[in-house]
Formats: sequence, C-alpha cells, structure tokens
Amino acid sequence: MTLNNIKPGSECFIKKLTSSGRLGQRLVDMGVYPGLRLKVIRNAPLEDPMEIELDGHYLTLRHEEAKFVEVQE
Amino acid sequence: MQKKNLAICLLLFSFLLTTAAIAHTTLCSCYDNGDGTITCEGGFSDGSSAAGVEIRVVNKNKKVIIKGKMSEDSEFTFDKPKGSYQVELDAGPGHLVEVDGKNIFE
Amino acid sequence: MIKKKKILVALAGQPNCGKSTVFNALTGASQHVANYPGVTVEKMTGSYRDHGRKIEVVDLPGTYSLTSYSLEERVSRDFLIQENSSVVINVVDASNLKRNLYLTFQLLEMEMPLVLDLNMMDVAERRNIHIDVKELSKQLGIPVIPTAIKTGRGKKKLIKAVTAASGFGLHSGLHLEQPFKLILVDYGPMEPFLERIQVKLSKEIELDKNYPLRWLSVKLMEGDSEAQNLISKNCPEPDEILKFVEKQRDTFEAKYDEAPDRYVAFRRYQRAETIIKSCVRTTTASSTTLSDKADKLICNRYLGPLILIGIIYLLYYLSIVQGYNITNYTWPILAKIRSLTESILPNPGFIEEPLIRSLSLWFVDSINALLNYIPIFFILFALIAILEDSGYMPRMAFILDRLFQRFGLHGQSTLAMVLGGIYLGGCAVPGVMATKAIPDERSRLATILIIPLLNCLAKVPLYVLLINIYFSEHKGVAMFFIATISLLIALPAAKILTLTLLRNKETAPFIMELPPYHIPTIQGVLGRAVERVWLFIKKIITIVAVIAVLIFVLLQFPGLNLERQAHYTKEKEQEISKFYNRITETQYAEQLRGENLMALILYWDKYKNARMMATNQKLVKKLKEKFEKENPLFFKIVQPKKDKDAKKTNKAFRKLFKARKKILRELRKEKIDNSFLGRLGRDMEPFTKWAGFNWRINVSLLSAFAAKESSVATLGVLYQQEEEGENLEKRMKKGEADFTSLHALALMLFMVLYPPCIATTIMVKLQTGSFKWMFFSMIYPITLGLIAASLIFTGGKALGLNGLQAMAAFYALALLTTIATGFINNKEII
Repeated sequence: MTLNNIKPGSECFIKKLTSSGRLGQRLVDMGVYPGLRLKVIRNAPLEDPMEIELDGHYLTLRHEEAKFVEVQE
Repeated sequence: MQKKNLAICLLLFSFLLTTAAIAHTTLCSCYDNGDGTITCEGGFSDGSSAAGVEIRVVNKNKKVIIKGKMSEDSEFTFDKPKGSYQVELDAGPGHLVEVDGKNIFE
Repeated sequence: MIKKKKILVALAGQPNCGKSTVFNALTGASQHVANYPGVTVEKMTGSYRDHGRKIEVVDLPGTYSLTSYSLEERVSRDFLIQENSSVVINVVDASNLKRNLYLTFQLLEMEMPLVLDLNMMDVAERRNIHIDVKELSKQLGIPVIPTAIKTGRGKKKLIKAVTAASGFGLHSGLHLEQPFKLILVDYGPMEPFLERIQVKLSKEIELDKNYPLRWLSVKLMEGDSEAQNLISKNCPEPDEILKFVEKQRDTFEAKYDEAPDRYVAFRRYQRAETIIKSCVRTTTASSTTLSDKADKLICNRYLGPLILIGIIYLLYYLSIVQGYNITNYTWPILAKIRSLTESILPNPGFIEEPLIRSLSLWFVDSINALLNYIPIFFILFALIAILEDSGYMPRMAFILDRLFQRFGLHGQSTLAMVLGGIYLGGCAVPGVMATKAIPDERSRLATILIIPLLNCLAKVPLYVLLINIYFSEHKGVAMFFIATISLLIALPAAKILTLTLLRNKETAPFIMELPPYHIPTIQGVLGRAVERVWLFIKKIITIVAVIAVLIFVLLQFPGLNLERQAHYTKEKEQEISKFYNRITETQYAEQLRGENLMALILYWDKYKNARMMATNQKLVKKLKEKFEKENPLFFKIVQPKKDKDAKKTNKAFRKLFKARKKILRELRKEKIDNSFLGRLGRDMEPFTKWAGFNWRINVSLLSAFAAKESSVATLGVLYQQEEEGENLEKRMKKGEADFTSLHALALMLFMVLYPPCIATTIMVKLQTGSFKWMFFSMIYPITLGLIAASLIFTGGKALGLNGLQAMAAFYALALLTTIATGFINNKEII
C-alpha cells in the first residue's frame, strides 16, 4: 500500500521509502521516514497534490511522489 | 537573405519593438476656449500621442452626449454642453481618464 | 585575549523558522543584497555592533538539509566550509524541534562554533510545548538561547552568546562549559566504516588542512557528489580513495540491507527523538491549530479556488487600479521635471530642432515612463511581500499545481503568471521577478519564458484602437479573445519548451511544507517593497537610459537629404506667408515680423503646456497674470477677448500653429522612414508579408513602439496623401484597399505576443543570469507572433474567412492545442 492511495482523514504509518534518488532524500530531509505516524488531511481541489500531517507539521506532495512511500494502516 | 542576416534582423526587430510600450498612463487635460468650445489634449506618460483614441462626453446621467476620436494632433474640440458633464478618454481597460466638467475652465 | 580578526556570523536554518526575522533584528537597516558568485541565489548580508566591534552577518538560504542535490544547499555548504565564519547561528523552530535538529547535527559535523537560536518560543508556549533548555544545551554540547525574535525576546542574550562563542568572551555571563564541546551523532554500526574512511583521508595533506574529516567521511559514505568532487580536486590519487569508499558503501549496504545515505538520515532522526524525549514535554494533546482551521477554508475544494480568485482580484485592484490613481499625483512631478528640462534646452525653430534638445527630451520621456510605474510597483511589491510572509503562497501552489504541472510549470508559478497578466492586464516585470520563488529550475525557466506572452497592461491601448475600427460591432467578443488567447498560447508554449529546450534542466521534487500562517510585520513588508523598487531603479532604469540613447541614434540618422529638407522649408514658408496674408489688415502684422513670429510660437506653446498643468481656477488666474506680465502683446493675441484685430490674429495664428504641427509630424515620419529603423522595416518584409504586414506596417509598428508614435496615427499618415477633412478611419480604409479585419486581427495577435518591453528583457537576464536566455526571450515571442499572425492572415485568406471567423477558428485551434499538449506526459522525476 502506498501513500497516494490513502484517503483523506485516514491515518497510517510509514513502512519504507522506495525512492533511492533525489526524491527519497528530499522526503527524508523533510521529516518523512519509516516508523512515523502520519495523517492524510485532504486532496487539493484538483485532486492533486495531497496534504499530510506528521509530527505536528503539514506537508504537501504530489501523488506521483507519494507512490514512493510505502505505508501500513 | 542569409540565415545570419535574418537572425540579426529579427533580433534588431524585436529589440526595437521592446523598447517602448512600457508605461501607458493615459493623460488628459482640458480647457475652456472661451468661445463656447472645450478643447481636450491627450497623451500617454511615455510621450506617445493619443491620436485615434476614443473620447466621450457624458452628462450627469452617464449618458453619452458626444463621441469622437482624438485627432492626429492628439486633440479633440467640442461644443461646451449645458449642465454638468464629464469627459472620458478611453484607451481601453485600465486606461481610462475622466475629467469632470466643473474642473474645466478658461 | 582580544583577537583583531573580523567577526563573520552565518545564519543557517530550515525554512519557516524565523531566520529572516532574526537577520532583520540583528542587522536592521544595514542590509545589502547581492548574488553568490556565479549563481542566481541571493546573498543577504548585513552587520551590527557589539561592544564596539563590528560583526558581519550572512543570511544563508533556508534549507532542510545540506546535501548536494539543490543549488541552495550547495551554496550554503560551500559558504560554511570555505568562508571562515567565526560563529554559525542555527535558527530553529521550537515548535518543530525534531525536524530542525536534523539540520543541526549536520552543522555540528562541520565543526564550527555553533549557537542554537531556539526561536519561535512564543508559538511553542502557545502549543503547550515545554523545552528544558539547559538539558538541550547539555545534550547538544552547544549554547542554546531561547528567543521569540519577533517580539525582541532573547535578542540581547543571543548577541552575547555569539560574542562568547567567537572567542571574545569578556562578559559572557553564560554558564557553559567551554564555548563548545563536540558531541556528534553516533552512527552505530556504521562507525567502523566511517573510521576507516577517515583514517584514509587523514593521510591527504590538503584535505586534512582544509576540511573537517569526520564530516567528509560521512558525506562520502552517503555518496555525496560534491564530496566526491572535493576528493578529485584535492588529492593526487582520487580514484583510489573513491574506489575504497565505494567498497565501504557496498559492504555496508549488503550487510545491513539499508542504503548508507538513508541510514545516516534515519540515525539522525533517532538521535533527535532521543533528545526530544529528554528535553521536550507537551502538556496537552495537540488540537487543531488556528492555521489548520484556516486551511479548512483556504484549501477547501470549492471555497479554496474562490478565495484564490478573490485574493488575485484584490491584488490587481489595489496595485493597478489604486496604483494608477496615485500616479495621478506623481505624474505632475515628472511632468514638471520635463518642462524644467525643456526650459534649459535651446529653443526649437519652426521646423528645426537642435539635436541636444531632441535627445534630452527623448531621454527624459523614456525615464519618466518607467519612473511613473514606481507607485504601482511599490504597492505591488508590498502586497507580494504580505502574501509571501503570511504563508499563503504554498497554499496557492497547492490549489493550482495540478493544472500548471501538466504544462511543465509549477504550482508556485501561479503568482508570477497572475502578475504577468491572466485575463486582466498585468505587468511582466514583477511577474518575472516573482519567479524567484519557484524551486524547480526547469519550471522556473519555463515560467520566465512564457510570462512575456501574457497580457501586458501597457499594450492595451494599441489593440483597443484596432478593435474600435475593425471590430466595433463585436467589441466584447474581440476583447474576450485578446484577454484569453495569451494563456491558451502560453501554456502549450511552456509545454513545448519543457519537452525540447528545457528537457535537460534540473528538476526538483514538489514536496513542500505548508507552514503556519503568520501575520507579516510592517517593517518586513515595507523593507522588502523598498528593496525591490530600488532594484528596479538601479538595474532597469539605468540600462534603459543607455538604450534610449541608442534608439535615438537609430531613429535620427541618416536623416533627410537636402532635397527633402528644401521641400519642408518651402512648406514652412508657404504657411508663414499664408499667415501674414491673413493678418495684413490688423495692427499686429508689423509687430509679428521676423523673429517675433517664432517667439510668439514658443510663447504660445509654453502657455498651452502650463495651462494643461494648472488644475484649479486659482492657479489658472495666477498663470494668466504671469504670462500677461511677461509679454502683454503676445498675451493679447493668446487671449483676445473683445479686440477684433486680436481675435482675427488669434484665429490665423491657430491655423499656423496647427499647420506647423502637421509639418513637424510629416517631417518626423519621413525621418523615421529613412532611418535605420525604416530600413529594417523594409528588410523584414519578405517574412512579415505572410502575416499581412507590408513594409509600411512594419515601419509603423517599429516607429509606434520604438519611436513612441501612436500606431494608428502612424498608419494613417503612411497611407495616403491627406485630404482635408477626411478622418483617419476613412483614409485607412481607402488607403490599403484590402486592409480588412483579417489584417487587423493578425496585427492584434502579433501585438499580444511580441515581447512586452526592454525592462522585462532586463529582468529576464537578472533572473536567469544568462544573456543567452535573455536574447531567446526576445526572439522567440516575435517568431511566435509572426507565425500566429501569418497563420491568421495567410490561412484566413486562403479559406476566405473574415476577421471574426478567423478569430473563432484560431481560438478553437489554440484551445485544442492547449488541451492536447496538456495530455503529454512530462519526464518522470524520482
């Protein structure tokens, strides 16, 4: 299950980051890493990008980026 | 024309075109000629002439009583209307200047 | 021991931690903006004094990390490693400590004196987050100063800590162990690997001398490309070392099933978590913050876009509409400067104009035109600063990213494009300026390149003239066409550029933070607005001044030959004798002989200009008194009242004055035709004829813009011999028998697309840092404009369409192209 499939309002936690390149590094740099709980807040008016909350701060990322975050509910 | 000449020409052409259309605050000043006519002179803030630009005179009900275009001298002369009136120099959206008749004197 | 070295302090921190507020608080008005050498990243420097010593502060770009992936990170890193900062202040968001510590650990690894500024304490306290500062300091091994810099809290302590850390501690008053203790992140199982690498590096003299080896080892283990470059540059046998490192990395990954760079990152967070557990206490469960509540509306599916439109409209209204109102007050000042210039220049003759006079007036006009924009820009820049500081920008990107991304642009392109003019007219100069915020290089360039295609407000009068003549019955439709077609061309253009020219540019992940909303400070907003206006003046107006002179030369020379000059002199003499004939019977005929005639002309001109600027009855009265005193005779003619002779003279004189104007106009036109500009117009004809532009139109286009003659008037004169009394429209319609609405449409479309102004071009150079892109941004819109105009004209003619039908056809074409290109997929970024 990857992050882009999680519906707004649901919580999950991060199992693995499957991007080994620049995107993966960026995700980690911004505080997205395995073991964390996060909540999907909403999708944008045009469906993409999505907004998530983790550790008290809010991030937004495109669905094509969220595909590289493996999660578990 | 060779390709290189064309490129230079095109560059010069674009260069010259880009050099002016930069600030078009529309300007309009009017005065009473004392003989029953009013003359309005118009222009733009970069020194361009307003020749051909539409100019209107409206009464206090906003009805258009006189309509015309600025002459090649960028001027427009019309008969002074009775009652209160307003002159509108309209060079398009965002480029409208209004002059109240009561501010026009000899 | 007081050292006499200069103290250099670097401010480092993640975005949204209040770093710039700290910078402002420390440096106040002494700020200076430049660029880091060779790149378009802004370098903010400033200074302050403490105990008589001057301390220089550099505000590094806000970055989440210090990898080699982005330009900002590389710039920050290079600065930290290469410049000898005495102290680094790491500004940290107290309410977001864990993520911020991730950067702190990396800074510690660089082994420079570090002071942690635990900022935004007020926000943390509001959220019931309590931090044990002493314990935090102990665990990190560096001084920790809690601040809420916005209110000034903690500023003094911070300055003290900085002074102490830089080794000047005379009155440190802080109870610390030694300035700082080096406590670094323990990478556990990776430590042996790091040690092996570090041992190998310690044998390299150049490295050992200049770089912290532990940091370098970690970076190499992470596979950092810049670190690899350092090895290549500083070691006699780099390949051997790099291979060794590679082996370490492979072994580690094989053994622990984790990529080394990810492992390093996770370890840092683990350490951060440990520290948080012992130092941070949250007393109540986190509830939704105010920002989150606001976002429920602002990012809402239906309300969000509406609010966005509302804000954009407000931006437009306040800056352009109100800004224009303010220019009504500032313009008279500029006009006064012009008349002052006029008064000190040598007077013109009947048809002659001294070169110095025409050059100076031309120069003043060009500069005034730009200066007139300053009130509008000031308001605009202030509003943009408010948008930026409030935190709304990422929300803007959030709402529109999907649409923009399809065309190779970015959600953050929204503001830039709005400023450039979508539907309502905008201005490309602030539009291009606003592209600075776009983090992705490829979409940033794409945005910069299409902004010149958008609706430039200053061009409006040009096509309104044509619409009124050729589309007078369908004004609304035509205006709608013009207002929306630019977007329908810009979007596909962006996509095509992204797929071709910009294909290999650096892209960046989209993921962004949505920071809590802030109320912007007046000081911050005004400061930024002033700074940007100043940049406009310094960088743009200065260059335009130089170019204005160049254009002048292009227009003046070679000028008229002797034969033509004689022609105009003859016309002048004819008009003058006509005048004298008309007034022979009056008492004034004698008094206006010889030089007096020209003197009267100048007097009349001066009076008229002054009269135009007098705005109320009192001023008019004063003006009249002044002029009457100056020359009672002339004044009598200007204001004849009941004197019959004077009235007759007045009438005849007006005719003369008008005739003079006409001669001057024709003279100017012919001069332009003969000039280099005119020649260029002719040379371009083979290409422009497909767009329906013959050489006359080319020249009139060039002279309309470069020479500032109104396009309609120019076209008018070029067409026919003037027939007395016939108006412009009729002449135009007669002159070019088939100058139809199709011609007009082609011309209008060309006007919409060609690059707006030299100021924009300069701005493009500033934002891209390259002349290559600057020239490209000038040439390709012209080409595009010519192609579009040609399509309309030649295509329309071939299909037998009139202007309106061609408009509809072209619109449909543009719409289809936009939709089609929107479906092509971009290159994947992983």
